[in-house]
Amino acid sequence: MSDVLREQEPALDVNVLRHAIQEEYDEVASHPHKGFHFHTGRPLACMLEYQDEWLEGIPESCIESFAGTGNPFSLGEISSGERVVDVGCGAGIDSLIAAKKVGPDGRVVGVDMTPSMLKKARRAAGEAELKNVEFREGYAEALPVHDGWADVLISNGVLNLMPDKAAALEEMSRVLKPGGRLQIGDILVQKAVPESAKRKIDLWTG
Amino acid sequence: MAAGFVGFEIPWRKDVFSDAPQAGSAEKFGTLGINFRARKAIDEEEWTVAMAALSCEIPSRSVGPPKE
Repeated sequence: MSDVLREQEPALDVNVLRHAIQEEYDEVASHPHKGFHFHTGRPLACMLEYQDEWLEGIPESCIESFAGTGNPFSLGEISSGERVVDVGCGAGIDSLIAAKKVGPDGRVVGVDMTPSMLKKARRAAGEAELKNVEFREGYAEALPVHDGWADVLISNGVLNLMPDKAAALEEMSRVLKPGGRLQIGDILVQKAVPESAKRKIDLWTG
Repeated sequence: MAAGFVGFEIPWRKDVFSDAPQAGSAEKFGTLGINFRARKAIDEEEWTVAMAALSCEIPSRSVGPPKE
């Protein structure tokens, strides 16, 4: 394809992309057993080597909407009293695991842009009686968290959905303390993705 | 390394999409699930040292005529 034609292709509309991603993950929240192009729920947690004890006490309604691609907790211990931010927390499984790990002296903030996921996450935290976790609506590129607040930032299957990954990483850096840890599960592509393909919304969501 | 992070590492990767209920349009690009970690630099000095370690020198080439 010539450069002239390439320049005529419409750029990726971030708002359209966000809406499409919200629609997809609203389905994961509302109909978790529908069947997606990714695995979900407890079988996925098992595949990603989540330990059974981490899931003890976490409501099944939360676990069933899990759609991560890795295991942030395998990357380093999260200790009692620490502050954790979970970017793209979805129905809250990783936030609740982190809340159990940091205990009553620690704090966890889960951030997601999909209201139906946040609703499930808040309900699950209530059912699990975890009072050290809260869920906030927001975007990864503009996290609703103070500068230097977190000891650890976790995220699972989310960074790949962001068109401006550099902006998201800058924001993650902003909310971490100096020396703070980034522990992320995500996706790696083994073949180069053409620029034209990056503009196709269905490639981002499915 | 980006945004002031150091110690970037990918210690785990796995095919986490095979046998999913639906085929994904990104499959042809060989998608794998990964875990990666990094750490925010403690201060400007640590960041500067990490950046310096990333840089490499390109040996200069002689542009003159070959010596006989």
